[in-house]
Amino acid sequence: MTLLVIATYPVVEGPVLDGPVTLEADGGIAIGGTRVPSSQGTSAMLGAATRVAAHLGTPAPHALVAGDIGRGDGTRHVYERLAEVATRIRPSVIAFHYMQPVMALMRRAVEQLAEVAPAALLVADAGGMYAAKAAGLASRFELMTPDVGELGFLADPDVTHPAYVSHYLFGNEGFDPIALAATAHATGGAARVLLIKGVRDHITLDGAIAEVVEEPCVPELEAIGGTGDTVTGLASAFLAAGFPTVDAARCACLANREAGRAMGATPAMHAEDLVAALPNVLGDNLCGWGGACVV
Amino acid sequence: MRLFGRKDADPSPGAEEALGLFLFDAVNDAIAAERALKVAGYGVHLVAPPPHLRAGCDLSVALERVEHVGAERVLAEAGVHVREWVNDAEGTASVCDLVTTVDFGDWLMVRAGNMKIVVEKATGVIVNTSGGGCPDIPYLNLALVGRRLDEVPRPKDFGYTLCGLMLDRAYVEVRALLEVDGR
Repeated sequence: MTLLVIATYPVVEGPVLDGPVTLEADGGIAIGGTRVPSSQGTSAMLGAATRVAAHLGTPAPHALVAGDIGRGDGTRHVYERLAEVATRIRPSVIAFHYMQPVMALMRRAVEQLAEVAPAALLVADAGGMYAAKAAGLASRFELMTPDVGELGFLADPDVTHPAYVSHYLFGNEGFDPIALAATAHATGGAARVLLIKGVRDHITLDGAIAEVVEEPCVPELEAIGGTGDTVTGLASAFLAAGFPTVDAARCACLANREAGRAMGATPAMHAEDLVAALPNVLGDNLCGWGGACVV
Repeated sequence: MRLFGRKDADPSPGAEEALGLFLFDAVNDAIAAERALKVAGYGVHLVAPPPHLRAGCDLSVALERVEHVGAERVLAEAGVHVREWVNDAEGTASVCDLVTTVDFGDWLMVRAGNMKIVVEKATGVIVNTSGGGCPDIPYLNLALVGRRLDEVPRPKDFGYTLCGLMLDRAYVEVRALLEVDGR
């Protein structure tokens, strides 16, 4: 029931950190006892996942991360250690998050994991998702958590990064997430389950719509960096706790939205504020949403 | 004397002129190349390389083939590392230029592709950046949030990836919308 998160943190040449994730008294994140900077990205994802584990009494997430500011050095260090760490930790869920999207590294990682952790469910978001899709490996993943622009990327077989997504696949006008999810699935660009983050969250299973979550509606969440990452952290942690994947995704959407409502979100707030709201949100609502109350 | 002068053509993908590509090991090399070549007067365009030349988060610079020798000299003089030149721009793709805004009252959010920047209108302070998935995005978030638009460098000047480039577009747009001078 362990979640292993593979990612980077925003420090120049920061060393590899490999250990359980803990939340500090001030809301900061530590990995194996070492603090990492709080920002959007993986620290937000880990914060949310850690809150879920604490609530459910499951093991804390385990993170394998290294410092990387976009040069790809930390990403390479993490991939070098992945097989060894996965063998030692024996995770049930492995989530790829903020990584330099290098297709060759992702191909090697998926090959290795098929040998050392064949039963682990794979989750991808952010650069991990870009690499998995661009490398043609999306269908090997259990869950991906794109936003609307990233869904267009998953649905276009010729695109290797969301920055190249065409207008008609991107965003508002004529945008049809259900059709795009079906296309992404049919063309091998999607995981078995997609959690599509937007004004309305759509969850698809094998390319077909399974759930739509639209309440509470908190538009300010889109402006807050890291609130998509917290959804991914919530879903990954619920999955590691044994929730069926669609239920994990649905409870993640509901918890994120409810935390946004509870914290009185404004565009100037931050992901740490949402993470701080999660204990009460989970305690008050998770049973009612049909998620497990106690594991 | 410069033997290979500039043309005014815009070598966007699909243009009539025969195009080639400079390929790079890193996105920030491509961004630096674009900057150096534009300063030198070349008409260039940032594009995704064709699928068979991609490694992942790639960005290349397209220009007319006839200009590549002179342009290569400019890049060498600028210290920009080029992986290789290819005489083929077939299959390239342009970077998404979709920019949208959301007015939150006291705050303005600008999206460029899936990258977003949020600024407090009264002060010009960046209160949030979001979107993207490359490792420079949390780094840029830490560097930008809490500072005024006019006191931070452009994201493309210290980012490294396509996500950083898209954030730069949002940054430029919000500066224009809020009429912040400079740069």
